[in-house]
Amino acid sequence: MDALSWDGTLTSRDFLVSARAFAEKWKEFNSAFPPWTWVPCPPKQPPCHLPQLLQQGYLSLEKICLPGSSKKGHVTSQEDVDEISLTEGEEEFEPVDNATLVETNNSLQVCYYDFHIVYSDSYRVPVLYFRGYYIDGQPLALDEIEKDLPACSAKVLLESKWTFITQEEHPYLNRPWYKLHPCGTSEWMKLLFLSDDSRAKIGVAVEQYLVSWLSVVGQVVGIRIPFEMLNNPKSCN
Amino acid sequence: MEGSSGKSILQFAPFQSSVDEGFWHRLSSLKLNKFGIDDSPIPITGFYAPCSHSQVSNHLTLLAESLPSDSSEESEVPEISRGNRNRCSVPGILYNTNTVERFHGLDKQGLLKAEAQKIWEDIHNGRALEDSSVLSRFLLISFADLKKWSFHYWFAFPALVLDPPATLVNLRPASQCFSLEEAESLSAAFNEWRNSSLTADVPFFLVQIDTNSHAAIKHLKDWETCQSADGHKLLFGFYDPCHLPNNPGWPLRNFLALICSRWDIKSVHFLCYRENRGFADLGLSLVGEALITVPQGWRDHPYVPNAVGWELNKGRKIPRGISLAKSMDPTRLAISAADLNLKLMRWRALPSLNLNSLSSLKCLLLGAGTLGCQVARTLMAWGVRRITLVDNGRVAMSNPLRQSLYTLDDCLNGGELKATAAVNSLKRIFPAVEAKGVVMAIPMPGHPVPSQEEQTVLDDCRSLHDLIDSHDVVFLLTDTRESRWLPSLLCANTNKITITAALGFDSFLVMRHGAGPFSSSHDSKAEAANSLSADMSNLGLTDRDGGKRLGCYFCNDVVAPIDSTSNRTLDQQCTVTRPGLAPIASALAVELLVGILHHPHGIFAEGDVLNSSNSESSEQPLGILPHQIRGSLAQFSQMTLVGHSSDSCTACCSTVVSEYRKKGMEFILQAINHPTYLEDLTGLTELMKSASSFELDWDDGTDEDDDDCVEV
Ligand SMILES: [Zn+2]
Repeated sequence: MDALSWDGTLTSRDFLVSARAFAEKWKEFNSAFPPWTWVPCPPKQPPCHLPQLLQQGYLSLEKICLPGSSKKGHVTSQEDVDEISLTEGEEEFEPVDNATLVETNNSLQVCYYDFHIVYSDSYRVPVLYFRGYYIDGQPLALDEIEKDLPACSAKVLLESKWTFITQEEHPYLNRPWYKLHPCGTSEWMKLLFLSDDSRAKIGVAVEQYLVSWLSVVGQVVGIRIPFEMLNNPKSCN
Repeated sequence: MEGSSGKSILQFAPFQSSVDEGFWHRLSSLKLNKFGIDDSPIPITGFYAPCSHSQVSNHLTLLAESLPSDSSEESEVPEISRGNRNRCSVPGILYNTNTVERFHGLDKQGLLKAEAQKIWEDIHNGRALEDSSVLSRFLLISFADLKKWSFHYWFAFPALVLDPPATLVNLRPASQCFSLEEAESLSAAFNEWRNSSLTADVPFFLVQIDTNSHAAIKHLKDWETCQSADGHKLLFGFYDPCHLPNNPGWPLRNFLALICSRWDIKSVHFLCYRENRGFADLGLSLVGEALITVPQGWRDHPYVPNAVGWELNKGRKIPRGISLAKSMDPTRLAISAADLNLKLMRWRALPSLNLNSLSSLKCLLLGAGTLGCQVARTLMAWGVRRITLVDNGRVAMSNPLRQSLYTLDDCLNGGELKATAAVNSLKRIFPAVEAKGVVMAIPMPGHPVPSQEEQTVLDDCRSLHDLIDSHDVVFLLTDTRESRWLPSLLCANTNKITITAALGFDSFLVMRHGAGPFSSSHDSKAEAANSLSADMSNLGLTDRDGGKRLGCYFCNDVVAPIDSTSNRTLDQQCTVTRPGLAPIASALAVELLVGILHHPHGIFAEGDVLNSSNSESSEQPLGILPHQIRGSLAQFSQMTLVGHSSDSCTACCSTVVSEYRKKGMEFILQAINHPTYLEDLTGLTELMKSASSFELDWDDGTDEDDDDCVEV
């Protein structure tokens, strides 16, 4: 692809190629971190007489404990749960068992994050979906997530008026997840590739797309890309 | 535990639960679409993995896949793939009750005992050797409150109680228990076991280390063969979810029960397998020795040992609760979707769009017919959330086709009141709307009332006055000209933003009324109350200096509003309009409002016309802000016009407004009862004698015939 005439978007086939390359590289340069895995999804409509569609799916990185994402003494937001019916008084139905360890110290409250990279057919770019939850499964609200986001995140969100967090239905899970809205992605991706002379010369490497993309998007949510991954644009060709 | 004295009781860290949001989503969907009120127990699958963090224990996790598929077609591919090293399947059972009372009334001890019995039987019939995951069988009770999207739940991880309890001889990090060679071989064996899809999710196993320091991991069913070799170290290993350095995790309990009842071993060497970054971590893993006394009665088959295992909630024996209203309540989802839509519009095209002013804006719609319905919908699309509809009619059979808030159901049994039906419909479209319906007739000039009805009419006048007072914007959308008179006057008096839409057969008029004649005076309540334009009073003054207020609907008139319905044929009442007209006019009316709200001068903004020399307004983000828009479907044309206020206007001139201020209801009664009162008062009578006609600067003179008929 010629970088100058390129509009910053990606076809779904290219996304697949780029996703595979990205997951491989991640494993290569970031082995201490859990791997990104490709989650295949059956197409929503049976592919009847249409030509067989590309394999659909998304990249997934789950149960990530972001640095600093532990909360002390989290108060479960049981806002709508009827407290009275939960705490009707303790029930003494079990014999005392002295082989059961009774933990006295309230151990560290840990929050986990799940990240999915999903291809958007309408914007023709990858979209980062994410969610956070306490270790017992209670989801984190956006304001709680914002407290976990790295300090540079607010800056990125502010500077790029196209990058903002919205809550929308996850295209495959059909539940609301947070996402970084993709409406400016193609523009800044184009700028990103054009600003790099060497890349502008060799053309746009599809394999490198997701690495470059996540190097920007990751800043918002605190996913760091190893430097070697960025600096190694051609290793997959 | 006091050191390794050999006397301390072996204490196990309880299993902890984690329930993914997706589990509750699927349970709700199954409950609604498949189970109904059937509350029989449901087999479910939990997932766990060895502890992989020195500070955090691994939890037994329920995911959407823990439940049967909720799609109607049976999925061909089994959803739970075996062999996932991070998702060892554990069988469980779910008792989901239909009421919170049933939830609390469940026989918890009995349910736990029933599950413990299954474990006990699997130990004795050997099934636990084939599929060791049954040793960690669990139980979940729940009540899903689908109206509030809240879930009450309680896990139990049944553990067979050894009586007397096992005692601990010693417990150390595994790294201290093996030679270097052994440790190396052991780590390699573990990594192989964990990376093979055949064994990765097998949570209980045997660890054999031969005299050559060679380690091997074996299935439980291979126990007999492991026994035969001499000089071998044999350890009973399991995936330990617990991270604690001095306690093994819960799964060891039933493992010990199996070991002692099947193999009759008194001194058990066990290994708590834990890992780090996907590899065996012998520093985190523990090796210990426990002494077991086979409890009395364990050899008698019908006997089932006691069991414990209900999970505590912050140290207390109470259930847990979770609310997912944020992600499941359709109303909340609709709100956030609607907000997002508007925010996108702001982000992409209109950075100055003031969404808060729209969502807090109170709009009064007089009339809930074709125009009222359509205006209400368009207002909601712009993010307006507070809408009051005034109408005293009922939905007729012919209405639903043109009046977009009604359906045939609203017409049955004599027809629902439009004010009521419209509000219900708005709430169905967008549950978060704050819509109110007011059933009220609008008093009209020239429609004399008998004295016994005077009180009712005056009450209506006062109600209308209060309604206008308590709203920010008034839309005049009634189907007669004279029903617009009183609201026009009241709006001029309180200086409210007022928008009129009126229809002919194929032409329409949409206009905003100018500010009232006393809008700059300091006693004007509306001015102080109106927060939409902060420096309104200043503007009012300059406007007064300029002397040119924009006109109202009646400023165009040379005749005072009279009873237009009584002496006309149906045709002339203009109830016949081209169906596309009302949506066009309604949409323009709302867009005009949004323009006013975003104009720095608000209600005082001058009227722009296309190609206006007034460049200030054309640079507004929303474009020009016209005073009047007239359109004709016959010519598919539309034009913007400006008409200034008339000194003899029967609704907004200073004579009329000050007369109203002076005499109040008495003035209104006179206007209602005496057809020429208003004309006499404003000098219109005089004017009519001299003037043949008075028109606005409407270039196109060919299509004026329905001008006096611009109503529904
Ligand atoms: Zn007027």
